[in-house]
Amino acid sequence: MTSKIGVDVSRIDALDKVTGKALFPADLMSSDMLHMKILFAGRPHARVRSIDVGKAESCPGVIAILTASDVPVNEYGLINCDQPVLVGPGSNKKGADTARFVGDQIALVVAETEEAAIKARDDILVDWVDLPVITDPYEAMKPDAPMLFESRDSNIIKHNKIRAGDVEGAWKNCEVIVESIYHTPWQEHAYLQPEAGISYIDSDGRITVEVAGQWVHEEQKQIAHALGLTVDQVRVIHPAIGGAFGGREDVSVQIVLALASWHLHERGISRPVKIVWSREESILGHHKRHPYNIHAKWGAASDGSILAAEVKMVADAGAYEYTSAKVLGNATLQSTGPYDIPNVSVDAYAVYTNNVPSGAFRGFGGPQGAFAAESQVNKLADKLGIDVVEMRRRNLISDGSIGQFKSVYPEGVTIRQVVEECADRSNWPITQVDNSLPSNIRKGYGFACALKNVGFSFGFPEECWAKVELHGGSEIERVVLHHAGAECGQGAHTVFVQMTAEACGVPIECIQLEAADSALTKNSGSASASRLTFMAGNSIRGAVDLALENWQSEERPAIGEYKFVPRQTTALDTETGECDPNITYGYVAQRVIVEVDIETGHIRVVDVMSVDDVGRAINPIQVAGQIEGAVVQAHGYTLLENLVSRDGYIETAQFSNYLIPTSLDVPERVEAVILEYSDPQGPWGLRGVAEMPFLPYAPALIAAVHDATGIWFDEFPLIPERVLRGIDHSVYGE
Amino acid sequence: MKTFDYEAPVTIDQTITLMSKTRGKTLLLAGGTDLLVQLRYSNQDVDLVIDVKGIPELNQINYDEFSGLVIGAAAPCSQIYESAPVLENFPAIIDAATIIGGKAIQNRASFGGNLCNASPSGDAIGAMMSLGAICNVVGSEGVRNIPIEDFCIAPGKNALEKGEMLISIQIPSPRPNSGSHYLRFTPRAEMDIAVAGVGASIELDSDLNKILSARIALVAVAPTPVLATEVSESLVGQKTSGSLLEKAANIAKETISPITDVRGSASQRKHLIGVLTRRCLDIAVKRAVQVS
Repeated sequence: MTSKIGVDVSRIDALDKVTGKALFPADLMSSDMLHMKILFAGRPHARVRSIDVGKAESCPGVIAILTASDVPVNEYGLINCDQPVLVGPGSNKKGADTARFVGDQIALVVAETEEAAIKARDDILVDWVDLPVITDPYEAMKPDAPMLFESRDSNIIKHNKIRAGDVEGAWKNCEVIVESIYHTPWQEHAYLQPEAGISYIDSDGRITVEVAGQWVHEEQKQIAHALGLTVDQVRVIHPAIGGAFGGREDVSVQIVLALASWHLHERGISRPVKIVWSREESILGHHKRHPYNIHAKWGAASDGSILAAEVKMVADAGAYEYTSAKVLGNATLQSTGPYDIPNVSVDAYAVYTNNVPSGAFRGFGGPQGAFAAESQVNKLADKLGIDVVEMRRRNLISDGSIGQFKSVYPEGVTIRQVVEECADRSNWPITQVDNSLPSNIRKGYGFACALKNVGFSFGFPEECWAKVELHGGSEIERVVLHHAGAECGQGAHTVFVQMTAEACGVPIECIQLEAADSALTKNSGSASASRLTFMAGNSIRGAVDLALENWQSEERPAIGEYKFVPRQTTALDTETGECDPNITYGYVAQRVIVEVDIETGHIRVVDVMSVDDVGRAINPIQVAGQIEGAVVQAHGYTLLENLVSRDGYIETAQFSNYLIPTSLDVPERVEAVILEYSDPQGPWGLRGVAEMPFLPYAPALIAAVHDATGIWFDEFPLIPERVLRGIDHSVYGE
Repeated sequence: MKTFDYEAPVTIDQTITLMSKTRGKTLLLAGGTDLLVQLRYSNQDVDLVIDVKGIPELNQINYDEFSGLVIGAAAPCSQIYESAPVLENFPAIIDAATIIGGKAIQNRASFGGNLCNASPSGDAIGAMMSLGAICNVVGSEGVRNIPIEDFCIAPGKNALEKGEMLISIQIPSPRPNSGSHYLRFTPRAEMDIAVAGVGASIELDSDLNKILSARIALVAVAPTPVLATEVSESLVGQKTSGSLLEKAANIAKETISPITDVRGSASQRKHLIGVLTRRCLDIAVKRAVQVS
C-alpha cells in the first residue's frame, strides 16, 4: 500500500473554500435572525457610574439591551477570570464597573436590523468617571502606581526567575560583553475574517454558538462559567475559520452571543442572534502580540564560548491577563536561545497596563525572546571577529544538553543539523560582492536560528482526544474520525485525515471527519503551540490501534476512543526557574538577504532560506506553506506593521494605516527546506511547524541590515523612517 | 453610512440638471474608490450620489497632436495605462496610473476622481501638474478651463462651484526632446499613500544638453499638490548635470514646509523630497534623451 503521509494530498476543504460553499461565521444566516452590536468603552480607564438605556430601548426595532447586571457570573478569562463580560454597575463581580482598555464591552444591543442596533447603541448614555491611565509597564510596576484592580497590591501579573550558575562571577572571564536594550512592537493578527458568529438554542435545548475559535471545549467552558450553566448546556461549533494565529485563543463574541440567546430564550423569544465585527472593532476588540522591553547583557570568552547571559525583560500585558503568564514563560525560555550557557540570570515580568490586552500570537513570546538572544549572539560574534555560524557551532545545545532549567533537553535536539544545512545550502559565509548595485543600494546577509516548543509548556495540562469508527464487513470500507481540533486555515483537518488513513491502511477517500463541534467530540486541546499535528497524530494512532483490536474481535463498527496524554512538563521553580519546561521542540535556521536603499530607508528582502526540522512532513506542500506564511507574517512584523497607541487609544485601527505586507512587499523568494529528523515522542516521528519559522526572521533580517549598513537596530518595525534615522542622523538634525 | 438617493445619468446635461435641481448635498461618483470609503466612515449627510460612469464622454481618452491628450474624468487608471497614445507620449501619466492603489483599484479609480478628491497626496495630480494639464469644467453657467495648479485649493477641497462638474483633463502634446516622470515614496509597495511624491517634465534643446523648460510638482508636502516654480527656474537654461539636479533637489527641499502625520514626519518628508526630486529629474532627462 502506498503511504498516505509524506505526500502532497490536496486540502480536503480546498474545493468548498475556493467555490464559496464553505460557510464562514459571517456567512451564517437564518431568516428570522436578530442582529447584535456592542457598545465598547472607547476609554482606556474609567468607571461606569451609571448606564441609561431608556432612549436606546425606545428606538424602533430594538429587542433587547443587556448590561453588566444581566450577566450571571460577570467574569471570564482563559487562565484568570479577571475580565468582566460587560463593564458596568450592578453585577456580582467586584471591580466589574471599571473599563481598563478602550475595547472593554459595555452593552449589547439586539435589534431587528444591524442599522437599528447601531442607532440604539449610539443612544446609550454612559456616565463615566475617568481614572488615571497607565500605559508604560515600567510605571505600572512601581509600588506606588495606581492599581488596575482594587483587589491586587501590584500590577505585576507574573515574575519568572532563572538563576543558574554565577553570572556576576562570570563577567571577569569574558573577553567581550554586549549589553543592549531591545524593544519589540505590538502586532495585530490581521486575519482575513473579523470576529463573527451566530447563536441559538439547538433542538436539545442547548445554547449553541457557531463562531470562529481555536478550541471549542475551552470556549464552551468559558461560556458556561459566565452564564452559570453546566458545560452540557452549552454547545460550540466552529464553521470555516478565516485564520486565527493565536488571535482567537481568547474569546471575543462567544460569551456575549450566548448571553443574548439565553436572555431571549428566557423571554420566550426563539430567534437566532448574529454579530459581525467590523475591521476596526476587530483591531480594537481583540488582543495583540506583547510588546517587550528586553535588557540583555551577555559575555563571551575569546574563543567564542558564551559564558554568561543576564536578561531583564518586561512585557506589556495590557488590561487583562489573557495568556500573558504563559507567553512570559516562553519568552523567558527563548531569551537565552538554543545555547549552552553555564551562567544565566533572567528576570521576566508581565505587567498590567491600560493598553489593549496582549496575548497569544504565533510564536507566543518566542519571537520577542529570540530577537534579543539571536541579536546578542550576532553582536558577540561581530565583536570577536568570529563568523556567526561558527559562533553558533561553539555554543549550540545538542542531545544531552542540560539547559538553564537544569533539565535535559528532550531527545532529538537537531539545532546543529538545521544550522549546518542552512549554512551549507546558502554557501555561508558569503564573501561575494555584488558590483551591479546602484550607489544608493547596500546589500547584506543575515543569519539566525531558534527552537520552538511543540505543545503546552511549564506544567499546563496537555491532552488530546480522538475517536475512530471502522465500518465494513470483511474489509474496512469507511472510517469515521471524531476529533475536535480546529481547522483555522492551517490544514489541520487534511493531515488528520491523512494520518487516519495511514494508521488504518485505507485510502484517504474512505475517511470521514466529524470535527469542530463540542457536542460530538471530547477535548482535543487548542489549535496552538504548534501542537495540533503532534497531539492529534498521537491520539489518532491510539484510537486506531484500539479500533483495529476491536475489528479483529469482529466488532462492527469497530470503535476506538483514546485520550493521548504526553509526558508531564513542570512549572518554573519560583526562585531558580528549575523545571522540565517542554514536551519537545522543533528547530529552525534562516538566512536572509536584504537590499537597503540608504537614501530612503526602504528595505527589500531579496531572498530567504528557512531550514526547518519538522520531524516528519505529513503533507510537505502544506508544511512549505506554513513556512512561507510564517516568514511573510514575520516580515510584516519586522518591517511594516506599526501599531500606534497613544495614551491607551489605538490610532491605527484600519488597514489603511496599519500596513500589512501585500504580495509586492513580501520576500521575493522564500526557499523552504524541510528536514525530517524523527522525534522519538512524535507520531511517525513528527514535531510541528506552525510557529518556528516565525522566530528567527526578525533577528536574521536585522543582522542582514547590519551587514548592509553597519547599524544595529534594537527596535523594530524597521519602517523606512526608523532606518533612515539610524543610517543618517543628519536628516533629522541630530 | 446614511441613506441617500442614487442617480446614474447618461449625459452631461442630465447631470447638470440633476445637480441644479437637488437642494441638498450632492456628490459625484466616478470610480468610487475614495468616495465610498468616505461615505462609510464619515457621518456626512449626503442626499444624492450621482454616478457619472455611464456618461460616454467621461470615459473617453482621445489624443491628437493639436489638442493634446484629453482624459475623460471617469476613465479608470487601467484604461489610461492601456491607451497607446498615453503609453507613447506621456510616461509620467503611466507612472501614476500604475501606482494608484493596487491592480483592483486601478480598474475603478479615475484621474478625474483623484483630482476632485483633492488629496495632498494625489499621485495623478502630481503627474498631471508636471505636464501642465487644464481641467475642463461644465456647469449651468457654461464652460470653464482651470489650470490644474489652481484646481485643488485645500485638503479635500477643489475649485468647483456648486453645480459644476469636471468633464475631462487636457494635457498638451509633448514638445520635441521632452521627457516626464512621476515618482513617489511609500513604505508599502502598493495599496499605500505617498509620504512624498514628485512629478517632473523636462524639455531639452536640440543638442540634448540644455534644459529649455521644466515643470516640477511636489506631492504630500503641502495642503495640496504644488508646482515648484523655483525648482523649474533653477533648471531652465542650464546644462544637465548631476550637480545641477542635486542643486534643484536642494531647492525643492527648501521650498516646502510639510507637516508630521501618521504617514511620516516633516523632516522625513523634506529629506525624501530631495531624494525624489533628484531621482525624478534624472529619469525625466533620460527619457527626453531617449525620445529624441
